[in-house]
Amino acid sequence: MTKLAVISAGLREPSSTRQLADRLDAAVRAELGVRGDQATSEVVELRPLAHPIMDAMLTGFPSAALESAFETVANADGVIAVTPAFNASFAGLFKSFFDVLPEETLSGMPVLIGATGGTERHSLVLDHALRPMFSYLHALVAPTAVYAATEDFGATGQAALGQRVDKAAAGFARLLGACGEHQRRDTFSEQLSSMEKLLGG
Amino acid sequence: MAHVVAISSSPSSTSRTEAVLGTVTGALSADGHDVHTIALRGLPAAPLLLGDATDPSVAAAAERVTTADAVIVTTPVYKASFGGLLKTFLDLLPQYALQGKAVLPLATGGTPAHVLVVDYALRPVLSSLGATHVTPGWFVLSSHVTVAADGSVLLDEAASTPLAEVTRQFADAIGRLSPVRAAVAVA
Repeated sequence: MTKLAVISAGLREPSSTRQLADRLDAAVRAELGVRGDQATSEVVELRPLAHPIMDAMLTGFPSAALESAFETVANADGVIAVTPAFNASFAGLFKSFFDVLPEETLSGMPVLIGATGGTERHSLVLDHALRPMFSYLHALVAPTAVYAATEDFGATGQAALGQRVDKAAAGFARLLGACGEHQRRDTFSEQLSSMEKLLGG
Repeated sequence: MAHVVAISSSPSSTSRTEAVLGTVTGALSADGHDVHTIALRGLPAAPLLLGDATDPSVAAAAERVTTADAVIVTTPVYKASFGGLLKTFLDLLPQYALQGKAVLPLATGGTPAHVLVVDYALRPVLSSLGATHVTPGWFVLSSHVTVAADGSVLLDEAASTPLAEVTRQFADAIGRLSPVRAAVAVA
């Protein structure tokens, strides 16, 4: 049973970013369901975590709510991460969350990325801003990502967006299937065992 | 004399990013420019992260940037990109806030492997904000910056020489753009 963590960095309510995240989530779970995998998902909405994220940035210590969001991500087998595109890049809130997320949390983690924007002209944020950051975090980013512009949520764009979401979900489900259960990296024990090796001479 | 706004986005006041910025703003002030530094860590967290541009102190900071003649943008390198704190503030600015301005991008990081953050991550964002001239930036390796106990800053020559050069080019660009700014102001 695959566990998904869905990270949404939308700033407004209702949020088209959250809407895209929910559609990707539903499509991925449906695709996994066809394969006999009753996947579950948990949403990490960053908006209510804004204050704890800033506190963690300034003090280095996460609050209980932020710690619980970190746990949700760390315990997942796959992550769906969606941000609004601002100034041709990811949103500051989105980046701030990954700045304070403990190192190696996403190492080897399958990740499906998505972005929303007012215009389709900014689609390249996926490949020029999000993908490099997740590469740095050692995540396994699914080759097909989804960008949704405002008009994609209107009556005329809905069907085309649905097709893109389904295509990305199918690819991500294959990736999840190939990766299996995500082995959480325990950097504390890794450091401890290398220390023990040193002490053992 | 130009009004220059320097954006400091380090979460810590004793950071190397801050120290590097101090040497650049010091040089510009000595040249007679009026330099004002905005420390983003001093702005209220919730409005900043939630994109609330109506908060009085956030609005005042954004107004300072919008009305400046030139802007220096600094960031520590986190996760092979600019810091999230910087981006939260840039997200709050009006769409073409940097129009008519010279902009100097500076980054500080622990590894030379991340030098390209200036040109691949930061520069496109500044262009998107309408910057008229993003002058050559510089990536300062944190091991080239020593902050003494009394707060004085010692820069390795490998950092101070190129920093002086990009500062000079930035100052030149401010001068060249002054007729452009006058035109934007009239429009």
